[in-house]
Amino acid sequence: MFVEVLPGGGPAASPVQAVAGRAAAARHPLARRLVPYLYILPAVVLLVLWTYWPLLQNVGLSFQDWNLIPTRPRVFVGTEKYAKVLSLPELRQALMNTVVYIGAFLLISVALPLVFALLSRSVQGRARTFYQALIFVPFLVTPVASSAVWRWLFAPDSGTIPAIAAALGHPMGDVFRDPDGSMTSVIVIVGWQMLGFGVLVIAAGLAGINPDYAAAAALDGARRRQILWRITVPLLSPSLVFLSLMTILLSAQWTYPIIDLVTQGGPGNSSTNIYYLLYQFGFRNFDAGLSAAAGVLFFVGFGLVALLFVELSERLSFHDN
Amino acid sequence: MAFVIVEPHAPLKTVSVGEGTSALRRAAARGRLGRVPAHLLLILLAVVSIYPVYWMFVTAFRPGDEALSTSPLPGPVTLDNFAYVWKTIPMGGMLLNTFGMASLLAVAQLLVAVLASYGFARWSFAGKKALYLLFVGSWLVPFQVTMIPNYLMVSQMGLLNTVAGVVLPQLCSAFAVMMLRQHLESFPRELMDAAQMDGRNAWQTLWQVVIPNLRPALAALAIMLFISAWNEYLWPTLIMQKSQDLVQVGVRAFLGAEGNNWGAVMAASAMACLPVFLIYVFLQRYVVDAFVRSGLK
Repeated sequence: MFVEVLPGGGPAASPVQAVAGRAAAARHPLARRLVPYLYILPAVVLLVLWTYWPLLQNVGLSFQDWNLIPTRPRVFVGTEKYAKVLSLPELRQALMNTVVYIGAFLLISVALPLVFALLSRSVQGRARTFYQALIFVPFLVTPVASSAVWRWLFAPDSGTIPAIAAALGHPMGDVFRDPDGSMTSVIVIVGWQMLGFGVLVIAAGLAGINPDYAAAAALDGARRRQILWRITVPLLSPSLVFLSLMTILLSAQWTYPIIDLVTQGGPGNSSTNIYYLLYQFGFRNFDAGLSAAAGVLFFVGFGLVALLFVELSERLSFHDN
Repeated sequence: MAFVIVEPHAPLKTVSVGEGTSALRRAAARGRLGRVPAHLLLILLAVVSIYPVYWMFVTAFRPGDEALSTSPLPGPVTLDNFAYVWKTIPMGGMLLNTFGMASLLAVAQLLVAVLASYGFARWSFAGKKALYLLFVGSWLVPFQVTMIPNYLMVSQMGLLNTVAGVVLPQLCSAFAVMMLRQHLESFPRELMDAAQMDGRNAWQTLWQVVIPNLRPALAALAIMLFISAWNEYLWPTLIMQKSQDLVQVGVRAFLGAEGNNWGAVMAASAMACLPVFLIYVFLQRYVVDAFVRSGLK
């Protein structure tokens, strides 16, 4: 969706518009030119005020030492905060975790849904609507509730999952307090919420592919595997690109509430991610400069990754024109 | 479902038109048989998706002495847990506040986005590309990077721990602007021109012609914005640190206090989800379409 940035310039003013506007234009040529800007103004002002101006302020903060208390002075410290943030072992851990999270969600919200959607393509009509309605539900569960349910399912004393694990001969303890299990548990919870969304996006993409292509290829003697890899998957690439880009950009945001509610990044930073780290720097350690410096670095890093990805996908993806 | 016996077929050597169609027919028959594993797969997926939600409700409706039961089947039903939650925290107020917050946000975001997308779709003007890029580019600015300056701004306005402080920074949804612009770009230009011919100015055209024709898209987008606002976690918990007026913060505090009292915890969680679930039950098509369409194009 946001891969194609601009669908060409807008349509030029139509002749009708020109006729209708001529009288007004003669009197207020400037006013008429201002009209489109007036429509856009509220959105742009809000966007600048709450997104871009804070982004700049954040850059300013990243060169300061300040504990967020308004009465305390802000001390300019140059690039000290950047040096500090880069030397922190927590940062390395959080970065690695973020990469693992992204990899896991590329699997759960792109690759698995692709397989599921392709395998279940033959189910149509009411049955399909029914399954899809159920599969989408987890996506709508509010984070406080999903974290609570999964804490209950994973509860060591009487939770369903440890009970099943014990019955199968693999007793498990408190997964959220286990340095080797905490991240997996976050992946399970967030993956549970995102899987259905991925399946539905890809199923909708599949439904939008003209079946004539596959039928024509079949008549020409193409095997099913050939049809799949040469026709279906390439035609699906816009959906796949969208889901992948969303996963890369947003998986750190998706995991944030669950990390905060279930593991608080622990034990020992084993399940933290970069955004949770930003939150801790800022609102737990009250080190605004450190949080801001890390934020600037992540913003630049993610920006580069996203641009690279868009560039790559523009080359690789295949449009049905 | 019907089972069809697939006739064994000789390998095709020469492809005539007749054989081609019979190959297609065979493929269709194989498809009908092949649907059994597809159904099984979807059933498995549906069970995995729905079981935790089902489990939440089953536990919430269980009487206290059976709270730790691991039986997947529902037993005797009681509302004790809900009553306990209702008595312990001001759940009604929280739900109302959150409903108000999410509705306000959805309507405001929609209004701001309608104006902006109309401006973008209707006219060409200097700086249009650059201005639109501001909206696209905001996808690259994660909220966590701007949260400290935003927090300070809300704090300076004296709006910490208020619903207004939660709503204000989110009034412009870049996503809504981009979605609506797509709808408006495909809006028939002739209708707008005809309205102009009838003597309506741009503002009247927007309200009397464009918006009435765009109602389904606007409804779907509004539902989506409402659900997103309801489920938003980071910003409300940051702003409402000393207040429990919203579900996210209020229920979180309750869950922290109740620990392993699973019946009560599940009842509170169920109530936190209820409005969104109700919307989903009644407007399922809209909801799925809105979220999934956003992933297309």
